[in-house]
Amino acid sequence: MSLRVSFTVLSTLFCVTINAQEQRDSTGTTALEEVVVTGQYHRQSVDKSVFQVKVIPRRVIDNLAANNLADVLNQTLNINIVPNPSSGKSGVQLFGLDSQYFKILIDNVPLINDEGLGNNTDLTQLNLDDVEQVEIVEGSMGVQYGSNAVSGIINIITKKSSAYKWQINPYVQEETIGSEYGFAHKGRHIQSLKVGHNISEKWYMNGTYTRNDFAGHFGDRKGRDYERNDGHRGHEWLPKLQNNAKALVRYNGDGLKAFYRFEYFDEEVSLYDSLVRTNLNSATQTTNPTASDEIFLSKRFNHHFNLSGKLTETINYDASFSYQQQKRDVETYNYRIRSNEKFDQESFEYESRKGFYSRGTLNNLFRNRWSNYQFGYEVSAIDGYSSSLAGDFETDHIKRRLESYDVFASAEYVVSKKFSVRPGVRSLFSSKFDPQTAFSLSTRYLFENAYQLRAVLGTSPRSPNYDELFSYFVDINHDLRGNEDLDPERGYSAFLHLKKEFWAEDSAWSLKSKLSAWYLSVDDRIELTIVNTNPLAFQYNNIDSYKTWGLSYTNTLSYNKLQLSGGISFSGQSKNLESQEDFNDDYLYSVQLNGNLSYRLPKWNTVFSAYYKFTGKQYQFLQDQNEEGEVIFIKGEQDQYAWLDATVKKSFYDNRLQLTLGARNLIDITRVNTVSGGGGTLHSNATSSVLLGYGRSYFLKLSYNLNL
Amino acid sequence: MKITIKPILTLLLLVLVSACSSDDATVVQEDFVVAFENPSVSFGASEDEKNIDLVFSTAAPENGSVEISFTGTNATYGDTEDFVTVPAAVNGVVTLDIASGAERASFVFKKLKDAVEGTEKSITLEISAVHLSDGLSNGTTSMQVAFEETAALGGQMAPEVGGPNEPNQVYIDLSAQNQSSISREAWDLAFYNGDAFRVAINSSLYMAVAEHDEIDIDAVTAEQVAGLQASVAVGTFDAANTAYVDVPSGDIKGTAIKEVSEVDAANKVYLLNMGSKIGTEEPETGGVNTSGDSRGWMKIRVLRNGNDYTLQYARLEDTTHKEISVSKDAAFNFQFVSLISDTLVSVEPEKDKWDLNFTVFTNEIEGYGSYGYADFVATNSKGEVSAYKVDAESKPYEEFTISDIDTEALDTDQRAIGSSWRNGGGPGTLPSLKEDVFFIVKDGDGNYYKLKFTALVNESGIRGYPAFEYTLLQ
Repeated sequence: MSLRVSFTVLSTLFCVTINAQEQRDSTGTTALEEVVVTGQYHRQSVDKSVFQVKVIPRRVIDNLAANNLADVLNQTLNINIVPNPSSGKSGVQLFGLDSQYFKILIDNVPLINDEGLGNNTDLTQLNLDDVEQVEIVEGSMGVQYGSNAVSGIINIITKKSSAYKWQINPYVQEETIGSEYGFAHKGRHIQSLKVGHNISEKWYMNGTYTRNDFAGHFGDRKGRDYERNDGHRGHEWLPKLQNNAKALVRYNGDGLKAFYRFEYFDEEVSLYDSLVRTNLNSATQTTNPTASDEIFLSKRFNHHFNLSGKLTETINYDASFSYQQQKRDVETYNYRIRSNEKFDQESFEYESRKGFYSRGTLNNLFRNRWSNYQFGYEVSAIDGYSSSLAGDFETDHIKRRLESYDVFASAEYVVSKKFSVRPGVRSLFSSKFDPQTAFSLSTRYLFENAYQLRAVLGTSPRSPNYDELFSYFVDINHDLRGNEDLDPERGYSAFLHLKKEFWAEDSAWSLKSKLSAWYLSVDDRIELTIVNTNPLAFQYNNIDSYKTWGLSYTNTLSYNKLQLSGGISFSGQSKNLESQEDFNDDYLYSVQLNGNLSYRLPKWNTVFSAYYKFTGKQYQFLQDQNEEGEVIFIKGEQDQYAWLDATVKKSFYDNRLQLTLGARNLIDITRVNTVSGGGGTLHSNATSSVLLGYGRSYFLKLSYNLNL
Repeated sequence: MKITIKPILTLLLLVLVSACSSDDATVVQEDFVVAFENPSVSFGASEDEKNIDLVFSTAAPENGSVEISFTGTNATYGDTEDFVTVPAAVNGVVTLDIASGAERASFVFKKLKDAVEGTEKSITLEISAVHLSDGLSNGTTSMQVAFEETAALGGQMAPEVGGPNEPNQVYIDLSAQNQSSISREAWDLAFYNGDAFRVAINSSLYMAVAEHDEIDIDAVTAEQVAGLQASVAVGTFDAANTAYVDVPSGDIKGTAIKEVSEVDAANKVYLLNMGSKIGTEEPETGGVNTSGDSRGWMKIRVLRNGNDYTLQYARLEDTTHKEISVSKDAAFNFQFVSLISDTLVSVEPEKDKWDLNFTVFTNEIEGYGSYGYADFVATNSKGEVSAYKVDAESKPYEEFTISDIDTEALDTDQRAIGSSWRNGGGPGTLPSLKEDVFFIVKDGDGNYYKLKFTALVNESGIRGYPAFEYTLLQ
């Protein structure tokens, strides 16, 4: 049955049901005021928060028909999505720092993955079907969220309530991958079912299941059964099949709230090697091509129990307990391409993390008119495993348990109605590293003319990773070692945000304007260093530093049915590479722009949206030699590129049926050129390219909302 | 309310429909191809029986048979004639049974009468029929059997390097189509048999050597040389470290140990880094682990004794030494000595009986000093073997004939093949076979061969299983 036929059937059926439902707008319950959770003592409005929290609401997720977090963050200022086509993962880069410096949380709890707790998250593994909103805070958040929250955090807030007794929401989404689409072996196919139910006034539950079948992108590659050794076997983007099931039970009683959330995720990524061994039999002049392939199987379990309530009349508590596990297994085998025969099959654990995590706070302690305190703890015990296939280690594999015990406290002083200050401190104790301390100081000042000024200072350490600690690559020609004595890197940040909202007298339009400036630095940066010149030996050491500063200006205009927003960001980065003999620590600057337009046509029940993001040229210094053989530095640049997504969402039958048609990557970005790899003589720097996308793609999403 | 259930069901149906997918992999029915393993065989002076091998493209899918016919030049079949076969030929055709599952077959060719000097005597075998469904012959469908020793027409060889630790040095004689292999750890020093008095070190173990001021070997202590030890090694990324290894071109005048002088007092003690044992750990699939534990340090001193060498050697910490006397033998490039077993050892075949040496090798990277290579192929430059690389784009291997040979391009450097038959690999990529190059090899007898590597790894991707095919150009 083709999609079109089903749709015709559906439409016919729906004609009968047009008026069978009572009028109730499912989005009507959304508060007009943006409410945030991240870094707060309790849920509160964005304007009251001392932190600057960027909110991506459900509406935007829906408009983009985003099927994972990467689709959404692609449009966010200062964030770059870095896809790794060879592993199938997508990481995030914020302020030029990779995903080791960035933490992803779900409902305030860092999300485990096979490489870390909250860090190194693969954004494509984060399904957004039960998400209410995504909150982003830029800057070091060590006091609130501990180590590895150097460049910022993302807190994914899940949906925990509904205005309806029953909400049943199945959808299907069909996407082309670039120009590739087919029912079985090409394109992306998503099926999802979400059910929410208010059992009683106090009890609510929901469950979501989503299957996301990404057939990979072929490009000039020819898939698994291609037998020539010309680099065309396999896929340009690896095929991936994901299953995701989530369930939530929530209790909302008098003075006690609790929820339990469970998540199961699995993923199968297939890597068909481009290298084909011809196995020529010279005598018979026949070949029997074979290749070495890998299938990665990831599984994630996530339990989260949260309890919050009032201890006394004023004091609140909030505690989360979570047990999480993510394991990536690999099946390696050799494949006789012509006879479709696997041999030398082996399966083993590739990488994993599992463990217990808990975070609790006591809020509104010693509360009075002008002050307010919060005490909290955060503990975790994470067992990590990394096989020799995941890294070069001295032992067969790395098994390591990292326990951390943090306590933190902060206070909020309301000096006047206009001025409040919030200092905070956290002590981080761990089973592996020396105790660390993180500080924060946030202030908010409200000017007479409704300008809001926030200044946020923060610090956060970044713990060394397994490669840095345990690498071991020593043979006759090489000597490269990890360093188990490494200290965590230290990150500092300072942010200044000036914000104002303007309204028309008759509220016909409103404009939110924000100007931000920041400075962020990372000291004791871990880098591979020459520790001996003869014989040449390398080791990881705390030696370098990194600095970045920047400005951004964003505006959001609402006028009637039109929403328009635009932003510009300008930032510079400087690297102090003590690990190298020579370096150039001049700042290198780049620009990003983004814009979004959304227009609602009530007569047609249709929303048109377009999202655009421009990333300007990015630079880095490359070491080279001039004609005299002296070391010089040249500016290598990566080309600019822009990302444009556009969708039309039309609702039928009282919003019960929604059809979203859209296009991603309308500018058709695949690769951008970058000058890389110095080492040669001048002018010999190779131009290579970075794979960013798979080209212009189209999608169709058909969803049904049954609200009872 | 009842009616709204139907659309949900329909939608669910749609979900199910779009969720199902089938694995539509198709299996290609392959032909069963039979061929002679090699295009020629010749009888040595003392030989009178040869196995004639046939190979199949795949294991036989069923029982069947293959027929081989023959035509002779000055040779006829029969018990009282020039040759017979086992099984015997019937009406000029040898029929071999093929058992289901078999990957090869063979029969015996018995030479009854030698060739008369000066007249060619040979038999050409031909696969005349393959009785098996989808069976056919292809590739080497005929084979020449020469009654006297002649240069091989070519064929295929798989040097027994021994897997990913590459434990063996394998010497290949193309014209005789044979190989001999020896453990890399069997020897330490090689004494030149030519006019010069030169001693080479075992580059396959990454040995290195440095001259010391002392001439009394027993007086040299570990403390004296401690400062030197860090530098006297392979792979230190110090451009100056090439002084401690033999010139990788194979030029005998470039050994790290100076020419042995007639004047004993001029022959200094050398500090000898014994390199690394053969690796024992199994590397990741596709990788190599050629170097294991360190073999420690020794001290040596070489003297001349008429036309012979006298080697003094001891462990670095010893205060007494041992001696071995080494006599030159002009039939070989070198005489080999093991300092571990305190004996002369036989390593290389006679110098006109090998062309290529598959070995681990100490090469140099210009500007970065010595660097260890796996999968190396050294030519017997001292036995007058030379070679050069041809880009298949300029002339495909199949089309290359004797008239395409560029004698100017022949390189007498023993690295003429070297590692240039494979792609080097790097972070995240493993070395792989270069399929777009082949080589022209001229052997010591003046035979020209074209030679193409067909494997770097085995079918499972494990390193240390090289293979090549070659053809005599005539």
